[in-house]
Amino acid sequence: MGKKRKHAEVVAVPIVKKDEIDSLERPQRTLFGWKDKNVEPEKQTDGTIFRNKEKVLVTCSRRINFRYRHLMLNLVSLLPHCKKDNKVESKTTKGATLNELVELKSCSSCLFFECRKHKDLYLWMAKCPNGPSIKFLVDAVHTMEELKLTGNHLNGSRPLLTFSTNFDGNPHWKLIKEMITQIFGTPKDHRKSKPFHDHVFVFSIADDHIWFRNYQISCPHTGVDKIDRGGLDKLTLIEVGPRFCLNPIKIFGGSFGGPTLYENPYYVAPNQVRALEKRQKAGKYAKKVKAKTRRKMHELSNPLEPDEFADMWKEE
Amino acid sequence: MVVVKDGPIVSDEEAANHDGMEDLDVEVSESEAESEEEDDDDAVKLVEPSKNSIYNREGLLDKLGDISWPEDVGWLHKLSIDIHQEQEVDVNDDLNRELALYTQALEGTRQAFVKFESMGRPFLRPTDYYAEMVKSDNHMEKVKGRLLAEKRRIEEAEERRKARENKKMGKQVQAQKLKERAKQKKEEVESVKKWRKQRQQSGFSEKDGTMELAFEEGNAFERSNKRRPGVAPGDRSGGKARQGVGKGKKGADKKRKGRDFKDSKFGFGGKKGLKKQNTADTTNDLRGFNKSDSSKNLKRKR
Repeated sequence: MGKKRKHAEVVAVPIVKKDEIDSLERPQRTLFGWKDKNVEPEKQTDGTIFRNKEKVLVTCSRRINFRYRHLMLNLVSLLPHCKKDNKVESKTTKGATLNELVELKSCSSCLFFECRKHKDLYLWMAKCPNGPSIKFLVDAVHTMEELKLTGNHLNGSRPLLTFSTNFDGNPHWKLIKEMITQIFGTPKDHRKSKPFHDHVFVFSIADDHIWFRNYQISCPHTGVDKIDRGGLDKLTLIEVGPRFCLNPIKIFGGSFGGPTLYENPYYVAPNQVRALEKRQKAGKYAKKVKAKTRRKMHELSNPLEPDEFADMWKEE
Repeated sequence: MVVVKDGPIVSDEEAANHDGMEDLDVEVSESEAESEEEDDDDAVKLVEPSKNSIYNREGLLDKLGDISWPEDVGWLHKLSIDIHQEQEVDVNDDLNRELALYTQALEGTRQAFVKFESMGRPFLRPTDYYAEMVKSDNHMEKVKGRLLAEKRRIEEAEERRKARENKKMGKQVQAQKLKERAKQKKEEVESVKKWRKQRQQSGFSEKDGTMELAFEEGNAFERSNKRRPGVAPGDRSGGKARQGVGKGKKGADKKRKGRDFKDSKFGFGGKKGLKKQNTADTTNDLRGFNKSDSSKNLKRKR
């Protein structure tokens, strides 16, 4: 463990220098040449060097539902650049614990699945150590295991990320989009990634929720290498799963804490929802009782007039 | 593709109603509330945004600036594509929502493909590229099995439906057949009559007789279909056994003792009373009398 980290640090430091040297020394860059060096900087057009070294820690709280755990495992299989860790006790101090854990695993972001009451799933999406963090409520969960979802794709191929344009409206959506692209996009030339693209993620905002879908790209009946414009029309998508729907609750300034930057004004906690439901059920009985007493009061206040024919037959 | 929303769902209207219910002014019938519950699937949501929710625009943009990658990062790093949604999607309409998501993905794939092609990078995996997949073979087997089972179920249902329809159609078909048969017969008789007339007119009276016979035989054969001579009226074997005996001449001796023969002789099934009655056929049938017997009798008398 410690050894690994050391290695990472060692690699991290000389990157910049090496790049400069490399860019001077080597006129030709081949994929394999760089791979041997274990450093693959890409030169941008204007000379700045960018390399995506995103690493995501994926973990969950204890006492998580099997369904939600499966969802988490599905995501782990979709993100080759992630590290799965043991369950974490979801206490008030979980933020600190998680931050420590993320640092320990030398990750740069974290997906934390927090299950409460065995039924509500919250997803924390955080950039560590000082990025923002977002808390979502997860809804409408379907896991990959469901037999209705018939697609399949390479393990570790880089996904295409498609966003609906309404992500570019408000700053909080922009921020969420940026976070999603960084966390869900597999880094280019990641060692576990495959050089092909055969699946596509959908992130779409509908009704202030983010809907997630994962489709396999398939092109029937043609040798895939010679896909042409005509073949473009034949492209079909098969859903692979999982499915879920994210409802943003809050955005914090720090990772797992810090000042609140955004609060969903429409959000109602599931607890509240359940309470409402319960109270309404209770209200049904109260209403009945109240109606009864009201009727009684009404009858008392407006007594019937004595019937003039009441004892007509008694006299005879 | 039915999406089931996990977790309980309560409409905003209900939430509002709840406030009113405390003082019992609002009366919502139970059925109404339920229908609303079903309609508003998305309803874990307030009607009006709460006033005191925080929205730190500067802070958000600041953070966005902090974490975002440099502007000029190549598209290959991000692989992200923005797709414009034409119209607002109704979240509760499962089919339309899925369609919208699907079209978004498809559009995105097409754009990505064009980009990859222009860059000369590989896109889909070649068919001979095998690697570990997200779902195991075991799982895919299950998926396949389910698809097949579904297909089979549909086919079976189709067959059942067809059989039912055929049964319904059967009566009509039968009636149609009978009608046709009657018509055919009538036509034949008519044609024969016509033909006979023609013959008579043209004067071929000698040959006429033979030809007539041939036709009459045909007619007679048809009639015999209805009522065979030598078969008891109640005989359900239809006298087939007797015919069968006649056919196989080699095994005739054997078959005489056989079940078929006995059946044909004594009858099989049907009402006994009817069988034992005399009919015109049986009284005229002299097969039972032995000529030689009569000659013996004569001798005895002498």
